[in-house]
Order: sequence, then C-alpha cells, then structure tokens
Amino acid sequence: MTTVKITRLEKEYRGVRALRGVDLDIADGEFVVLVGPSGCGKSTLLRMIAGLEDITGGTIAIDGDIVNDMQPRDRNVAMVFQDYALYPHMTVEENIGFALRAKKIPEKEIAKRVDATTRMLGIEALLKRYPRQLSGGQRQRVAIGRAIIREARLFLFDEPLSNLDAQLRDDMRAEIKRLHQELGRTMIYVTHDQIEAMTLADRIVLLRDGIIEQQGSPLNLYERPASKFVAGFLGSPKMNFIPGTITGREIKLGGGTKLPLPPHFKNAKHKDVIVGLRPQHITVAGKKAAGGHVHVPVTIELVQPTGSRSHVTFPLGGIAALAEVNVHDVTQPGEKVTLDINMNRAVLIDPQTEKVIWN
Amino acid sequence: MARLPIGRILFIGLYLLFVLVPLYWMFITSIKPSDDYLAVPPIWVPKQPTLVHYSAALFAYRGLQGLINSLIISLSATALSALFGTLMAYSFARFNTGGKHLAFWVLSQRFLPPVAVVLPIFLIYRILGLHDTYFGMIIAYTVFTLPVSVWMMFAYFRGIPKSMEEAALVDGCSRWMSFRKIALPLAIPGIVAAAIFAFIACWTEFFFALILTSRYTFTLPTVFRAFLGFQGAQYGEASALAIVSLVPSIILGTLVQKHLVRGLTLGAVRG
Amino acid sequence: MAQVGNMKQAGSLSRLEALSEWSDRHFKWLLVVPAVVLILALSVYPLLFSIWVLFVNYDFQIPGHAFVGLKNFQQVLVDPVARWSLWLTIALSVTNVAIEFLLGLALALTMVKTFRGRGLVMSIIIVPLFISPVIVGQAWTLLLQRPFGPTNYLLGLLTGHEVAIGWLTESPWLYFSLIIADVWQWTPFMFVILLAGLTSIPPNLYEAAEIDGVGDWQVFRRITLPFLGPMITLAITFRLLDAIKLFDTIFIMTGGGPGTKTYTSSFYLYTVGFTQFHLSQATAGSWIFLALTIVVVTALVRKLLEVDQS
Repeated sequence: MTTVKITRLEKEYRGVRALRGVDLDIADGEFVVLVGPSGCGKSTLLRMIAGLEDITGGTIAIDGDIVNDMQPRDRNVAMVFQDYALYPHMTVEENIGFALRAKKIPEKEIAKRVDATTRMLGIEALLKRYPRQLSGGQRQRVAIGRAIIREARLFLFDEPLSNLDAQLRDDMRAEIKRLHQELGRTMIYVTHDQIEAMTLADRIVLLRDGIIEQQGSPLNLYERPASKFVAGFLGSPKMNFIPGTITGREIKLGGGTKLPLPPHFKNAKHKDVIVGLRPQHITVAGKKAAGGHVHVPVTIELVQPTGSRSHVTFPLGGIAALAEVNVHDVTQPGEKVTLDINMNRAVLIDPQTEKVIWN
Repeated sequence: MARLPIGRILFIGLYLLFVLVPLYWMFITSIKPSDDYLAVPPIWVPKQPTLVHYSAALFAYRGLQGLINSLIISLSATALSALFGTLMAYSFARFNTGGKHLAFWVLSQRFLPPVAVVLPIFLIYRILGLHDTYFGMIIAYTVFTLPVSVWMMFAYFRGIPKSMEEAALVDGCSRWMSFRKIALPLAIPGIVAAAIFAFIACWTEFFFALILTSRYTFTLPTVFRAFLGFQGAQYGEASALAIVSLVPSIILGTLVQKHLVRGLTLGAVRG
Repeated sequence: MAQVGNMKQAGSLSRLEALSEWSDRHFKWLLVVPAVVLILALSVYPLLFSIWVLFVNYDFQIPGHAFVGLKNFQQVLVDPVARWSLWLTIALSVTNVAIEFLLGLALALTMVKTFRGRGLVMSIIIVPLFISPVIVGQAWTLLLQRPFGPTNYLLGLLTGHEVAIGWLTESPWLYFSLIIADVWQWTPFMFVILLAGLTSIPPNLYEAAEIDGVGDWQVFRRITLPFLGPMITLAITFRLLDAIKLFDTIFIMTGGGPGTKTYTSSFYLYTVGFTQFHLSQATAGSWIFLALTIVVVTALVRKLLEVDQS
C-alpha cells in the first residue's frame, strides 16, 4: 500500500516561486500523470517527491510518514530520468544491479533478480554491453530495469520518452502501460505531451504556473474541462476558440454566423462568451441537422491531409477555425462546403475569468 | 583538407624555425666538445659529439640531486593538489559551496604576485624551521597549483550530467558514495590532465624555489644559477641540464594538448 | 522489503551511523576543508604577517623589529630604482603582450583550416609553454651571448658586414633580447586561446557571408573580431598579469644589469629583500605592487566567474 499525500507544497528557487501551494492525494496503485507546459512546476514537484530538491513549504508524506527531511536513498522510491542517467562506465548488468550492490545484497540474489527483470523487459541479451553501445530504446529499457529491480514502493518517471523518436515513443508508451498493469505499483509520471497523459493516466494532474489547474480522469478533463487552459491543452488538434455574444437562445459570432446555444445550457446571464469547439466535433454535413447540431456554409482555405483524415482550415467568427473531416470529403482549398457543428459537445467560456461555464 | 596559400606556408615555416632553432642550438651545445664552442663559423653539426657535459652537469654541478629533489617535490605537490583540488571542485560544481565568494578567493590566488607572498613565507619558514625542507616546498607548491587544479576539475565535473548522480542517490547511495562510485571514475581523465599541468608548473617553477630552498632541497631550475655570469666553460653543462629538464615536461605537455586551453584559462574557455 | 529510515528515530542510531549522517549533510563543506586550510596557511596568514612586517623594521642588517610607521613605504617611494623598475616593467610587459598577441593572432588565423601535418605543427608551436622560463632564458643566452652565440655571425651573413652587438650587455639591444625570449615562450599562449576562439565561430556564418559576396577584410572585421572580442580581452588580461611578474628570464639572461638597466619590479624587490635583506622595505614595495594589480585582478577574476556561470 503506497499512498502519497502532498499538502500545501511550496517551492521557491532564486526568487522564483516554482510551486505555489499544491495539494494532491495519490491512492495506492494509481498511475498519476503530472502534465503541463514548460515551467509549470511538474518536474520540480516530482523531484521534491524523490528528495532531489528541498522543500520550501508544505509537506510530502509517503505512506503516512512525512518525508520532508528524508534523504532520497531512505525514501524507497525508484526514478527513471529523461536522459536515462545510465552509468557509462558500467555494463548493463552492473547498471541494473547497482542499487542492490549498494545495499549489500548477496550476489546470488542479485543475479536472480537481474535475470528476472531483464527478461521482463526483453533485454537479457544486452547484459554485458555498455550504454554507449545501446540504442535509445534499449537504454530506456535499461533505465526502467534499474528502477523496477529494486521493488520500490513508488515509481517516478521524469519525461522518460522525450528523447525518443515518435515511433519508438508509441511502443514504449504501451510498454509502460503494460508495466503498470503487471506490477500494480503507485506510479507518478511527468510529461509535457498530452497524448502520453491521456493514454497512460488513471488520473491527470494538469499544472500551470506552480498550481494545479485541474485534476481528474483523462476523459473527465477532456469532456468537462474547468477552464480555457485545460480545454485548449488536452486534445489534438487544439480546440477552436471563437468569441461571440449570446442573444436569447443563440450565439452570434463575428461575421454574422449564428450558433444555437447548447441544449443543456440554461442560464443566459452571460452576454460575451468564447465558444470552444473541438475539430472532431465539426464534420461535413449530411442531410439533416440532428438535435443540437447546426449547419454552417464555409469556404475552405487550407487542406492538410493526415492519412484517413484531413485538417481543414476555414474562417469562422473572425478566426481561422480547424475541423477534422474525412479525407475524401474536402480536397481543394477554395471549396465551398457545408459543415455540421455539434453544439452538444461545445464548451462555453467566460472571456473575463477564462473559466468554463457549465450551467 | 585545404591547401594553404604559399604566403601562409612561409609564415608557418618561419615560425617553426623560430621555435626550433633555439632548441636545436641548445641541444647541439650540450653534445659539442668544448673546443668547438668558439669556432667561427659556428658549428651546427658537431663532428665528435660527446656526453661529457651531461655527466658534469648531473654530478659536478649536482644536477642529479636537483632533479631528484624536483621529482620528489613536484610529484608530492601534484598528488596533493590533484586530490584537494578535485574535492573542492566537486563541491563547487555540485553544491555551489560558498557561492561566488569562495570561488573568487580561490581563483584569485592564481594572480597573486609571487614576490608579495614569498617574502612573508620566507620569514615564516625560517622561524618554523621549514626553510629548505621538502615539506615546506611541497605545501607551498600545493597551494601554488591549487587554483588551476580546482578550476580545471570544476569545468570537468560540470560536464558530467547531474542526473547520473541523482539516479545513484535515489538508488541508495550517500553523497560520498555517489561521488566515489559515479563522479570520480568518470572524472579520471580530467584528473590526469589537471595533475599533469600541476606537475609541469611545479617542475618549471623558479622563483619560489630560489627563495625557499638552499643546500638540501634545491630544485632543478635553481641549478642554473651555477652557470650564471661565466663565459665559456659552462655552456655545455648548462645546455645538457636544460635538455634533461625540458624533455620530460615537453613530453607530458604534448600528452595533455587537448586540455591545454582549459588549463591555461582556468577552464573559462573550452579547447 | 527495504526499511524506511525515519529521522524521528535519530536517538537510536549508532555512533557510526550518526557520524555518517552528519558527514553526509555537511558533505559539501568537508570537501573544501583541506584546500581552504592550505590556502589560509600559505596565502592568507603570510599576507597578514607581512602587514605587520610593513610597519616594523625587519632587516637582517639591522637588529630588532622596531616599529617604524610608514618609513618602509617612504624608502621605496623615494628610491629611483623602484620607479625605474616599475616603468620598465610596464614598458616591457605591454610590448611583450602586444607582440605576442599580434603574432599569436596571425598564427591562429593561419592555422584555422585543417591541412596535412597540422597536428604536428600544433605540437611544435606549443612546446615553449612547457619549458621553464629559466631554461628559455638560458637558451636565448646561448644564442645571443658574445662570443659564443651564432647570432652576430648569422646577422653578419645576412647584412653583409660584421655585426658586433652585445645582446646581453648593450642597451637598447638588451631589451630586444628580453622581449624576444618572452615572445618566444608566450606567443603560443595567445595562439592557443585565440585559435580556440576562432574555431568556435559557427562556420555557417562564414558560409552565409561568402554567399552574400562579402570580402575577406569585412568578414574579419564584422564577424571574426566581434566574436573573438571577449576571448581577446581574456587572453590579454591573463597574459598581462603574468607578464608583469617578469623575473626568471631577467635573472638568467642579464642578472638585472648592466647596473640596474634591466630591473623589473619583481627583480628589484628580490634584490632589496634577498640580496640586501631589507625585508620590510621589500615587503612595502611588494604591497605597493600588489595594490597596483588588484584592480585588474579583481576585474579579471570576476569576468572569469561570469563566463563560467553562462
């Protein structure tokens, strides 16, 4: 049972407040992803949990014990670093067994565990090699092996896939997910890539400027973002944000286009609003507009095919909006097309507070 | 590979001549029989080379003793300087110990005019009975070479990614173990280079040795005092001793060519 | 499963563990202790001691250490040799560094591109840096000293009539000898640093200039020099601070003479302190000398630290 409880955590560094009061409870066996733009404090938070950074204020407790003043080696956590941090002067076998040797565990036991770990990761053939002789993916596996061999109670990942090329990243992502399923340990994972966050997390913690902007399951954050920032951060391609004004049951956009208010939206207290539309919710119109949908004629400016889909850009309400359509539906820039916008999935944002309005 | 224009080849050639002629002449003198000294035109290739100057320099002029003393003092000071310098450099690199002030203080030692420091040290050593002792010279030379050792190793440690040692810390090492098992093994090439620089500095130092040594611990450079002022007889011995002295330091120096810029500029410039 | 150490149980740690815990926490300070102690002992303490020497009468020719106030400073300041040596030191240093810089720069510019044998040429060029200045002085003495050195003979061949210059005894040739010995030894210093600077200039800057049709001199002035700027300042200041300490070659080549014609400040102070044994006076002189250089030293060290942080 490994839980992590972070209370009012603060970090100040050379006059800069990297963390400004973070509260976070992590349950046993959870895979929590800390995600956010550069400088949001996610890596700092992870390193403070590991004990590699000092704590300016607040507490971190692992399994109920406050670990603020505890050295990293006493916390029983394992960490995988972005640049793998393999010891270049040691073989793969020595790298992985290093921690066990440091704890003076008998050689026979070490050999057994090294064998089991490398088999699990498929790198048992590389034992005698040196890190410089390995590919990026192999090094990553050795780094992971070094972490899991210790059977630590908590696993920390600091952007482990950032240095890999796209194809490898996809493969390794699946491996890490599988690892979590097999080992069932509590894992905290830092990334700036929202796709990694969406696919790996049991719970996403989105950080911005040193505080938690929103946390919850990936689906929760995707479908019910609390603010413009969250809505824009998750989901690819990025959500469209179009300014408009509410009159009655309609939203009037710049340029005259009128969109119906989403059916679930009752209160019309707000006048000025920003409409958030995901590109996936704008398609080429069929015959009839279903409930909550609206048909809008547009002229396509840019067509960017991505395989079976296409990203098309068109002016809407004064901005260059983007829709994700079937690749055969729109082929030429300049085409005039009627698009179907699903207002049921639209998000309305208060322009002043940048918070999402849910009622 | 570019072909250089003729002007540049000439320039480089002339410069190389400039560098090599004095060395060649000195070498020639060391093996020339004394009778050939005053020959006109000067002899550039001796017909009957001899080693008599070498034995005279080493024995009659006590060059061998000077050499041994230099070896003892330089090696010891180098070892201490490399050791203490590495420890301090690691502390600076990883923990920014003492911030700017400590670093400034250590670095500025390099620029103290020796004359200002040697005067009081001379007096203190006389009082303490450290004048003309190995110990006195060794610790003086250790301090003399510390700034460069520290600064070369500092630059070197900064090149070792922190994450490696952090991984070791998380994996169960204390700070000392992380230093010993991870940082130190990786720093060995840097330590060797710094040590060689320190050795060369000690081997070639003259002023401190002149003041702080005498009959017993005189170093190799100070032996050249014996050749001052006279005309004629000592040329061969002086040259022989010079050759004996400069061959090892040139060989060592060529070995660390790669690190030269770093050593010369205290790590401020990467070579 | 591995234990989790808890700081609250400190009382139950054995003495050895407590010691290792303490040393781990103060690790960074423990590492610097040996070096700091040595520097305190051999640099700070002597300098403090010398401050006392400044104001007393420490002289092997006169007994006792009576307090004399500022007399030592006075003696140095009125001594014409002191002033002459300072002037000479500045003149020689500036000349040496200037020549070394120009020659080193020219050499570096020629050696930037790789060519066959470049490695060997490099190795030869840097040789003088590893030789004791005393030996450098000795080598040039051998070349220049009459009647033994071949210099006059060779010059005679070149110019067509007999040359009989006392390179180590006649002024102003005296100074040429000292300068050429220093230049011989320290030009590689400039060369190596400037070459490092030149090779660090990104080649695509030159390529862009070439495509744009910019001439060689313009390229030098507008791309090379600005880039080299900080490196040049560093190299010159460094070298200058070392050049003013000129002693070893003077000692061997001219012994300060004839008379006091080639007394540099260091040599002057050496004479006063260790041949005449007016130690307080020498100390006063060396403090004046130190004070004159402190401003430059502080600026340079600060610059070095800045460069490091970036």
